Amino acid sequence: MATKADPAPAGSASPLSRRRPLGDRTFQIACLAAGLLVLVILVLIAITTTQQSATWFSTVGLSGVFSTNWDPGSGHYGALPFIYGTAVTSVIAIVIAFPMSVGIALLLTEVVPRRYSRPIVYVIDLLAVVPSVVWGLWGFLVLAPWLQTIYQSIASGLTGVPVLSTFFGGTSVSGVSFFTAGLILAIMITPIVTSLSREVIATVPTIDREGAYALGATRWEMIRGAVWPHSQTGVIGAVLLGLGRAMGETIAAALVIGSSPTITTHLFSPGYSLPSVIANQFGEATVGVFRSALIGMGVLLFVLTIIINLTARGIVGRSARRARGA
Amino acid sequence: MALLAACSSSSSSSTSSPGATSAPGETSAAAAASGTLNGSGSTLQLTFQQAAIAAFKSTSPSITVNYAGVGSGTGRANLYANTVNFAGSDSSIPATEQSKVPAGATVLYYPVLIGPIAVTYNLPNVTNLKLDGPVLANIFSGKVTTWNDPAIKALNSGASLPSTPITLAVRSDSSGTTQNFSLFLQEAGGSAWALGSSSTIKWPSTAHAASGNGGVATVVKSTVGAIGYNDYATAKASNLSTAVIKNKDGNYVAPSTAAASAAADGAAVASNLTFHAVWAPGAQAYPITAQSWILVYQKQPNANDVALLKAYIGYLLSSQGQALLAPLGYAPLPSSLDAKAQAQLSMLTS
Amino acid sequence: MMAIASEQQTVDLREPGGWRRTKNRIATGGMFLAFLIAVIPLGFVLFTVISKGASAITWQFLTGGPIPPNVLPVTFGGMGPAVYGTLVITGFAALIAIPLGVLGGIYINEYGGNQVLARVINFFADVMTGVPSIIMGLFIFTIWVLHFGYSGMAGSFALACLMLPIVIRSTYEMLRLVPDSLREASYALGATKARVTVTVVLPAAVSGIVSGALLAIARAAGETAPLLFTILTVEAINTNLFSGPNTALATQIFANATQPYTGAQARAWGAALTLIAIAFILMIVARLVTARFARYSQ
Repeated sequence: MATKADPAPAGSASPLSRRRPLGDRTFQIACLAAGLLVLVILVLIAITTTQQSATWFSTVGLSGVFSTNWDPGSGHYGALPFIYGTAVTSVIAIVIAFPMSVGIALLLTEVVPRRYSRPIVYVIDLLAVVPSVVWGLWGFLVLAPWLQTIYQSIASGLTGVPVLSTFFGGTSVSGVSFFTAGLILAIMITPIVTSLSREVIATVPTIDREGAYALGATRWEMIRGAVWPHSQTGVIGAVLLGLGRAMGETIAAALVIGSSPTITTHLFSPGYSLPSVIANQFGEATVGVFRSALIGMGVLLFVLTIIINLTARGIVGRSARRARGA
Repeated sequence: MALLAACSSSSSSSTSSPGATSAPGETSAAAAASGTLNGSGSTLQLTFQQAAIAAFKSTSPSITVNYAGVGSGTGRANLYANTVNFAGSDSSIPATEQSKVPAGATVLYYPVLIGPIAVTYNLPNVTNLKLDGPVLANIFSGKVTTWNDPAIKALNSGASLPSTPITLAVRSDSSGTTQNFSLFLQEAGGSAWALGSSSTIKWPSTAHAASGNGGVATVVKSTVGAIGYNDYATAKASNLSTAVIKNKDGNYVAPSTAAASAAADGAAVASNLTFHAVWAPGAQAYPITAQSWILVYQKQPNANDVALLKAYIGYLLSSQGQALLAPLGYAPLPSSLDAKAQAQLSMLTS
Repeated sequence: MMAIASEQQTVDLREPGGWRRTKNRIATGGMFLAFLIAVIPLGFVLFTVISKGASAITWQFLTGGPIPPNVLPVTFGGMGPAVYGTLVITGFAALIAIPLGVLGGIYINEYGGNQVLARVINFFADVMTGVPSIIMGLFIFTIWVLHFGYSGMAGSFALACLMLPIVIRSTYEMLRLVPDSLREASYALGATKARVTVTVVLPAAVSGIVSGALLAIARAAGETAPLLFTILTVEAINTNLFSGPNTALATQIFANATQPYTGAQARAWGAALTLIAIAFILMIVARLVTARFARYSQ
């Protein structure tokens, strides 16, 4: 029955019937259509946004798009400062979130008994439930003014120190900066990186763990010898997914990044990122190249996050397959 | 009834001039008018629009007005796309956008307010800081970098200026405030200003950019040695020190709503009611101001929309509407300009 | 395997035992520290939002309207229009995304089998969960708002785009857990595939699907970026979801955050607390549903 192929026309939208195979067929088509919707939406996103940003690409050309000059008033629409800021803030976020997430994931899988791990998972999930705009509100009104004084004392303390002052010095130290945005992004991506890492670490065969313990290894040695080698690829995938999230995070970054399209090594200086420039400048953008450029930033962001996600999923998928094979 | 009162107070001066045949019809249409007006645009107008909408609601309960402060650019775009009834804009339609206006359509400009732009600073123990165009241009170009620079000292004899470095606080988002402030730097700064006049400026890289007037105010407030520009309403609400600026007549004038109205009084107004009051002549004129318009199509799709727009814009231009401005930190239109705008209401047709 | 071989050298069991135990303690301490570091900002943000937001929240704040001018203190008017907007826009988005998402999940697990198309859809649903929410906003802006104008529904569409892949993925994961023996037993009784799926497989996985859907709603309710270009964010209530500008808590917070007026900021904190409360309630309900599911499956 289930395999019976009724030659019902695909377009006949009969209500779902539980008796006739026609209903069976319709249900299958409805399911397929819903599944295909994902592909349709992704393709439409690519087409419509690219169309809307065509004016930008054709007006300024490739060298104009990848120039450092963002000056809409005089017709310069370079995206490089935003790409740079997106990269810097998401790298800061990952550098902070990676050890934290892996630490928490190991804590949950290797240290804490199952019974106690659930409350910890709840708490970490709460981090993900706080909306982005609330992190931004808090970051802008509470955290940034407080960080400003800390940044200033760090910067003045580091004056003249060769490498450190390049990153943490500078004259335009500000509470809203690359680093503040990175911090907020780190908090925001910790839940997802933690839960993905936990999934990966959970696939480590018990026999590997027991083997390490049987050899007299301490827990830390067991983690380094048995858990980590088995899960490192998957964890890297998880981190990449976190990176993708950090890159696309808009509202929190828009409020705390400082909104200055500059390329500088000083992490305590205000910067800008692709999503936050769209959020901040879309309102005042004149119809034409300006708006087209902002939608184009969205296209760049879309392409970047798709590439990162494809890579990450590829890595995670491969390591999962290997884990199953092992 | 209340609507009639609002209408008559605003348009009594103007409806007398057009033909007597159309006036009664219009009045009855306005009396019956009920519905919703949607507007969007300028954030400079937002506070005024919010206050006016609340007050208008009590005089005309049958009309609902919405205004979203999404920025002038989006406001105008929404008007072109016909997704709103009116747009709030801090500038006239730029040349690059003219092609977006539907063919054959005429856009009417109704000025509604003048906004003084204050130069705000954070220097403990320095009050009434005096600045002029060229020095401001040098500061905002990053050429004058400390507060005890001879150029600033020369304008402020007697003040004890510290050697604190100057931190520039500027707008990161595209804004009419930036446009008018840079226009002032261009007109008053002369050769000292080379960055042009636009709604976004490529500021020196050391500048602290922040989003919105509130964002700039936050930077100034939290950074000793900072100097920024804000609309006066925000500067007042944030309790920031404001500089005294040298005007075209050579007098130093503090930002105030009266001084901004004085500047608008001296400004040259074009026939379509576009103007700017930056660097306008007048002994008491404050030289840095922004202004904001409501943009509507002259030809409306139906008589009800005409009546609604006449009622609401009429209210904004009426003495009641304009009286809302000063407490909010904005300057009312000079009476001559207000009269011209009210007269223009009769041009709205369906 | 290679990796294990190369890494195993680093575990040198000949090290003095005291140092090995110390290292172990340091590492365990580090893990607890990581958790603490994550908890600090959470506690900090919750404390701030509750302490600043609680004083703003009254019945009038939650239901009254219109949203007053920024200059007025928080005692005037209320955020009622934004609360309404958030609930209705998110609700409609759920109405679109959850049925479609569940159907999509069913396709991948029940019909797709090992077909390339099902694997592709599954993979891209996964990728789509990583597409930034602002892209969804821009997408609906270009494809819908430019042609049909701003409305609550446009916001719902953007949120639905965000929720769809999450619901598909969680449905798929839950259906995977349903044992095949259940399906086979039903087929043996002569039921059609659709009937088996709707009456046997879905009920077996329903708690997990519901909890996944609730988490998707919780995430969507707090989103700002997809609404930024789609609903226009006005002050008055708009009960018509399908036309005319609307408003929502998240976009109001974003607009109010940079306002210098204390009233506007107080409203932002109050709205933030309301938004967090909505998200938390959804999450707790989801947890309760999952807990029930866990009991049944045992």
